[in-house]
Amino acid sequence: MSGPDAMHDEMPGFFPGRPGGERDEPLLDMIFDRRPLPPGAPPEIHDLARMLAVVAGPAEPEELAGEASALAAFTRLASPVGISPAALRPARRWLSGRPARAKLPLAAALVTAAAGLGSIAAAYVDVLPGPIQKVAHVTVGAPLPESGRPQGPPAVTNVQASATHALGNSSAQPTPSVARTSIPSSANHQQSRPEQSGRPASGAPTCTPRPSPPPTQAKPRPSPSPLVPGAPGWNPRSPGAPGCLGIPAKNAVPRTTR
Amino acid sequence: MGGAFGDILARAKAGDEAAFGCIFRDVQPTLLRYLRVIAPDPEDVAGETWVQVVAGLDGFRGDEQAFRAWLFTIARHRAADGGRSRARRPTVPLELSGSAEQPVSADTADLALEAVSLRAVLKLVASLPPDQAEVIMLRVVAGLESADVARIVGKTPGAVRVAAHRGLRRLAELAPRAGVTQ
Repeated sequence: MSGPDAMHDEMPGFFPGRPGGERDEPLLDMIFDRRPLPPGAPPEIHDLARMLAVVAGPAEPEELAGEASALAAFTRLASPVGISPAALRPARRWLSGRPARAKLPLAAALVTAAAGLGSIAAAYVDVLPGPIQKVAHVTVGAPLPESGRPQGPPAVTNVQASATHALGNSSAQPTPSVARTSIPSSANHQQSRPEQSGRPASGAPTCTPRPSPPPTQAKPRPSPSPLVPGAPGWNPRSPGAPGCLGIPAKNAVPRTTR
Repeated sequence: MGGAFGDILARAKAGDEAAFGCIFRDVQPTLLRYLRVIAPDPEDVAGETWVQVVAGLDGFRGDEQAFRAWLFTIARHRAADGGRSRARRPTVPLELSGSAEQPVSADTADLALEAVSLRAVLKLVASLPPDQAEVIMLRVVAGLESADVARIVGKTPGAVRVAAHRGLRRLAELAPRAGVTQ
């Protein structure tokens, strides 16, 4: 190294294909090891070192934009009881700061399920419009609508057939329903729903719990469901009620926090 | 972080949010830059990486170098998982264009450094053959030793060294053409 360009002269072939191209390896290793280059190194190597110093340089503001989300996820996830896979999934989204692509279908499915459960619950408390209540009576064993309730002994009538037809299931077998068993009289039915006169005509279900029907109105079902009013585990607020999708708040799984 | 890493890591394991923040700020920029070269969705992969790091933090044993190697190993696996899931979807080209055509003043090293755009350099590195680009990012950006890089990418240290040298030579060739350097 007799001068500033000595090393360049010693390694005339920095690039592949040039004579002596492999002799640049010590300089390249110096770049990797972040050691200062000798002044006589070729200008291409100095340029290269400067370029890589930029890549290894300090953080740019946008690169730390997710810090708050990361800390929140850390607080949420760093639990002495461990981390469940279910907790990891949303955390990944929080960290990435992007909307979850799968949220829309999930929300649609939840809304559909909630609407279905709400409709069933509404049918059981007899708040649906008459024709719909008849369909519910046939399909899920809900009480007959007040206007269509027979006074005498019950029988499977054309209500069932028309409901089946309306559902587009003309080949379906008659559903074992309350019509084959005991249907309370109209008087008893009225007595069991004292608030009926004040209910909205639309029959929209609400989150307000309705009193359970008296035992005489209990309708036998092949398989008791928690969706049935009065059944064990039935939550009157849950079906179709916003924020009440079957999990009472007191039973909600608490988040693990520090 | 140097010698303080052990203490910071212990505090993070104990749930100290500030300590975890130190680790995050130290590693996240390099992690993102590495992922920008090897993955089309670096933010998503980085998020998944950090979640897994938090999940396994309590069981980690080692120094700062080992921690970085562990974290970048996770990142590489998550990026590979993302690549497999993207196999049936159209790919999105890496968009790192920006100021590659910025005028460069070579009078001083400082001015030259300012003129070189981070995004332009990352774009240039990403244009290398994938194995060379990844090795350069792990060696230069993540600051890992050849042995660690070899373990991460599943090659011998010698193969890593060769790929790194070839990548740097190629970068030196490309840089003037791309306007990143004079």
